[in-house]
Amino acid sequence: MRDIKIEVKDLSLYYGEKKALKEISMQIPANKVTALIGPSGCGKSTFLRCINRMNDLIPDVTITGQMLVEGVDIYNKDVDVVNIRKKIGMVFQKSNPFPKSIYENIAYGPKINGIKNKTELDEIVEVSLRQAAIWDEVKDRLGDSALGLSGGQQQRLCIARTLAVSPDIILMDEPASALDPISTSKIEELVHELKEQYTIIIVTHNMQQAARTSDHTAFFYMGELIEMGKTNAIFTKPEKKQTEDYITGRFG
Amino acid sequence: MELEKLKNIIIKIGKLAEIQVSESVSALLSEAAAEGKEVKKTEHKIDKLDVKIDEICQSIFALQQPVASDLRFIMSAMQISNEIERIGDLSISIIKKTKSIKDKHDLIAKFNIAELARQVELVTTKTNECFITRDESTIGEIFVLNKTIKNRCDEAIHDIITEMKTNSKAVVSGTNLVIVLKHLERISEHCTNIAEYVHFMIHAKIIKHEKFDDRKLDS
Repeated sequence: MRDIKIEVKDLSLYYGEKKALKEISMQIPANKVTALIGPSGCGKSTFLRCINRMNDLIPDVTITGQMLVEGVDIYNKDVDVVNIRKKIGMVFQKSNPFPKSIYENIAYGPKINGIKNKTELDEIVEVSLRQAAIWDEVKDRLGDSALGLSGGQQQRLCIARTLAVSPDIILMDEPASALDPISTSKIEELVHELKEQYTIIIVTHNMQQAARTSDHTAFFYMGELIEMGKTNAIFTKPEKKQTEDYITGRFG
Repeated sequence: MELEKLKNIIIKIGKLAEIQVSESVSALLSEAAAEGKEVKKTEHKIDKLDVKIDEICQSIFALQQPVASDLRFIMSAMQISNEIERIGDLSISIIKKTKSIKDKHDLIAKFNIAELARQVELVTTKTNECFITRDESTIGEIFVLNKTIKNRCDEAIHDIITEMKTNSKAVVSGTNLVIVLKHLERISEHCTNIAEYVHFMIHAKIIKHEKFDDRKLDS
């Protein structure tokens, strides 16, 4: 793989005594979509949260190994976690817009980052909403509450909010699992378009979604990375029997 | 499970095609004419199963979104049933054509066709066997047998044409015999295609259109 954005070396994570991730090593390429798949409890979401140090918020978590983002270990003591999360945005399973206007939802992050100029903020709001393919649906009601949007629109708004702070990497934790097929399809198209500019890592339980949207797929099982490869290879001829059994629905 | 059901139907349709090939070889090699009714009945069964296979595959694609080995199996199943159905049709054509060959036994003996016909019977049996056992060596045997059958057919056809050039009385029977030989050759080709699909099922490698000598089977 060329242009490696993230390199993971022997990363293990413990919840207290319990080892939830076991010596994970992988390389995540830049400007590609990498899907993380595996049965519930396999560690894929835990792993995703390691990428922007979201697990720091959970008490009793210990992490060993390295998570190198553009060559820098984000678990180094001198690394500012706020900068990490600015650079590495996250979209969750359940859309979580702020109880504010559509405009404020997008402008919130840039404002915190010190952008006060109204014209500049307007531009960021428009560009972000356009990139998230929701601009045409909301451009005439930017002052309305974000909570009045449909589930699919709220999720795209959250993606726009993530984009507004100009991240490099976007983490998505089952971003379409609560959406109808049309909204899901819009999110998937969006993921495809966004990879031109961003590195995307997506956790999904939907095998077809992983197959449709990603360039590379990593299969996790019981805290271990069993196999990672090009999505086409994983879904046509996986190397490991456990992967084959999982994707063909024989377990998990 | 649908996949198991599909496998069993393919084994069944394969056996029926094997029976049709045996009937056609018997019709060619023996005096007795094949039982027209039975052959028709078997043909009808093959056609019904061919449609059934398409329906099951369609339903699996629509409802289960198969991947990996399941996907390869279903893709192969659709192609294999198509090949088998054609083997059945060619067998019927052989039985029909055989009836118009006068001095059949003399010609068969003269051009050494009996052994060739038996080899076609054998390749059909081996083809069913390779689908069931997925045995790599059987796939290899099928490719070799097909090559032998093709060479023998070419030789026999060449000899028949030479005979027809000098003996005008042999033209009608000779032409019909050439058509029968071409049908036998096609049956062997269809068997080879099936073996290629079985190879694809096992190894996820497409080897159709590869030249015989270039073929390197994975083990």
